[in-house]
Amino acid sequence: MLNTGCARQSPWQPGILRVNLGTEPPTLDWHLSVDMISFEVIQNIMSGLTQYSNGVDGAKLTCQAACAKKWEVLDGGTRYVFHLRDDIYWTDGKKLTAKDFEYAWQRLIDPATGAAYAHFLYDVINAREINQAQIKDLSKLGAKALDDLTFEVRLNKPAAYFIYLTAGPTTFPMRKDIVEAYPGRWTEPQNIITNGAFKLDSWQHEYKIDLQANEKYFGGRPKIDKIKMFMIPEQSTAFSLYQNDQLDFIDNRSFTTSDIAQCKKDPNFKTQALLRAQYLGLNTLKSPLNDVRVRKALAMSIDKNIFPKILRRQETPMQSWIPPVLTGFKQDSGIAFNPEEGRKLLALAGYPGGKNFPRTEVLYVSREDTKLGLEAIQAELKKNLGISIELVNQEFKVYLTTRKLHPPHMIRASWSADFPDTDNFMSVFTSDSGNNYTGFKNKEYDRLVEAARGELDNEKRALLYSQADKLLCKENAVLIPLYMATQCVLYKPWVHGIDVNALDIQNYRTAYLEGSN
Amino acid sequence: MLLRVVIKRLLAMIPLLLVIATLTFMVIRVVPGGPFDQERNLPPQILANLNAKYHLDKPVLEQYFLYLGRLCHADLGVSYKYVDRTVVDIIKDAFPVSIQLGGAGLLIAVLIGVPLGTIAALRRGTHIDHLAMFVSTMGLSLPLFVVGALLILVFAIWGKALPAALWESPLHAILPALTIAFKPMAYIARLTRASVLEILQKDWVRIARSKGLSESATIIKHVLRNALIPVVTLLGPVSAVMIAGSFVVEIIYAIPGMGRFFVTAVMNRDYDLIMGITLIFSVVLVITNTIVDVLYMILDPRISYE
Repeated sequence: MLNTGCARQSPWQPGILRVNLGTEPPTLDWHLSVDMISFEVIQNIMSGLTQYSNGVDGAKLTCQAACAKKWEVLDGGTRYVFHLRDDIYWTDGKKLTAKDFEYAWQRLIDPATGAAYAHFLYDVINAREINQAQIKDLSKLGAKALDDLTFEVRLNKPAAYFIYLTAGPTTFPMRKDIVEAYPGRWTEPQNIITNGAFKLDSWQHEYKIDLQANEKYFGGRPKIDKIKMFMIPEQSTAFSLYQNDQLDFIDNRSFTTSDIAQCKKDPNFKTQALLRAQYLGLNTLKSPLNDVRVRKALAMSIDKNIFPKILRRQETPMQSWIPPVLTGFKQDSGIAFNPEEGRKLLALAGYPGGKNFPRTEVLYVSREDTKLGLEAIQAELKKNLGISIELVNQEFKVYLTTRKLHPPHMIRASWSADFPDTDNFMSVFTSDSGNNYTGFKNKEYDRLVEAARGELDNEKRALLYSQADKLLCKENAVLIPLYMATQCVLYKPWVHGIDVNALDIQNYRTAYLEGSN
Repeated sequence: MLLRVVIKRLLAMIPLLLVIATLTFMVIRVVPGGPFDQERNLPPQILANLNAKYHLDKPVLEQYFLYLGRLCHADLGVSYKYVDRTVVDIIKDAFPVSIQLGGAGLLIAVLIGVPLGTIAALRRGTHIDHLAMFVSTMGLSLPLFVVGALLILVFAIWGKALPAALWESPLHAILPALTIAFKPMAYIARLTRASVLEILQKDWVRIARSKGLSESATIIKHVLRNALIPVVTLLGPVSAVMIAGSFVVEIIYAIPGMGRFFVTAVMNRDYDLIMGITLIFSVVLVITNTIVDVLYMILDPRISYE
């Protein structure tokens, strides 16, 4: 019971930033977390070998030094040697060493941990074998502390994207003594030991997390003293609290599409393009979409420019699968809007003017923006091709089961980047991918993606990816890319310096509060 | 005698809980989707590791007996979604909040509902009666989220008198407690009115009045005591539902109670958590019904459960 929280109080509290997480983070164990909410908290209390540059305004995210002051890429890209700073301390005063990384990486890959993202390290020597219990000895992992300040990673083969993994939460260091001292409870505030800009002060489950500035942070103490991260699931409630000056900074989690018009009037409303692609996956094995002419006709008959008008969050319409800021992007890799050509192709496929076009379903999960977008697509296809598609809405887990066991004609899906590299998008549609629900299996595509994965020359890599993208979107029309989502933020005039990046991580270490009420 | 009734009721709860646990256990496993299904598919080995960790790789019957074995030791299992937390942890955090909110709501519902219904009955056909019934009809027909949104709009956004949401101080509990109380209050008012009207026609009320007993004494001692029996019947399930938490109210006001888990645990296919909150709700329901039975016996000594 802290204060009344009434709007009559001072609109902001010096040094305290109040934000909305939306929901409870399922875990703060960075080996077990798989969701954006957990990552947002973890990224603010932990620091890894590298960290992402500030990638605002569509700039490409790059890796900068963090716990590692520098690193070397040796042996044709199969060996990485990280040299750690010697002035990094955990929140209990103990010095960070390369052993903390070695333990963390071994725990991540240990099958007993049950880490969902352990496969991120499958490029590391013996990682896959250990995780699949073919090798029991964790010390056989190709990631070792050579001394207190040197951490070496050996890969099976070059992986151009590997460095990005060192900026993500799954590879952050971890304290063996703490994890073992408090099994299952080491992430609670009284136990957890971290090394990031903030430290976990309190955690009222399902309600609020308080972070406090870490005086020992190697990057310098943050200017914010405290962050109150509320978990307000209802967008209209969060928006009311913002309007009543009880939240200082909000994003998509805190306003609905219908609130956007009001938000945009505020000079402190900004949008950040995300690496989050929205698309229609087409089932290439199911009639009538097993005919590539039909798939192309559909792709040609949806004007992607409608999405920013309907959804109003400055979404970027997409034609190709590779997002604009990533290696290999080419505008002409995909199919452009051309309804006339679409009608011709549909006629050639045996459906002139859409006549006799069989019942075709799009499976989706009910969300306000998804439904709005799909209704627009339904209207576009009716207008441009004369065909009717049926929208089938299912509860999320039922949708996942249907998608896997009885794939419909089309699915409305989304792909959020785990790391800012093209491989993370292109590997979705390889023949062995568990996320490819289109039935598309193409050896040439697989070869191109595999070759690009290990190619360290960026120009050659870009060429390989653009060829693969063309094969996927233009020649086979396996999917219809719709748009790249954005993160919209709204903040009070006294809030400055919050870094929202394309991976949708809100970084508060550079934030500060200053100025008028 | 009272004690015997209570003990009998509580003992009868054990087989009841076993039936509920069995049914819930089976039903949630029939529903499509599992706890580890997510937007992006996990590699088969990773999924196998997760299933093995939580014994979900074992046959359903074996899982069932494992669960019952743990239940005998008061171990309700772990959450698959909130991976560091046990079901007991979650209930321990959330249940007291729901009790506070539901308790406050129940108090408001009774303290407003009973007098409102009584006054409406005593002033039958007057403007007071019409107003009371209009308010109670509103309470019955308006969905909770509309009531909540209206209260926030009037008292928080326009009036700036109360906080719009959150759970920081007693002041923060006023709007959610009013919201959660609105519908039961309406039920109680209508039921009290009907019941009081019926009792007012009874001979013993006429006799009490003819003997010169004051109107207030007649109402309190002879009318209300008898009229409240149906209201008390209603209070059993109503208080159980209120104390167990309300999904809508907790979501609208961002309150960390237990009600939200009745929906989110199912959405997440968080098996052990679904089992845990279902069992807790069943226990609450049995306890509140037992209290109602005891209250019956106090209000009307003729009632016996022997």
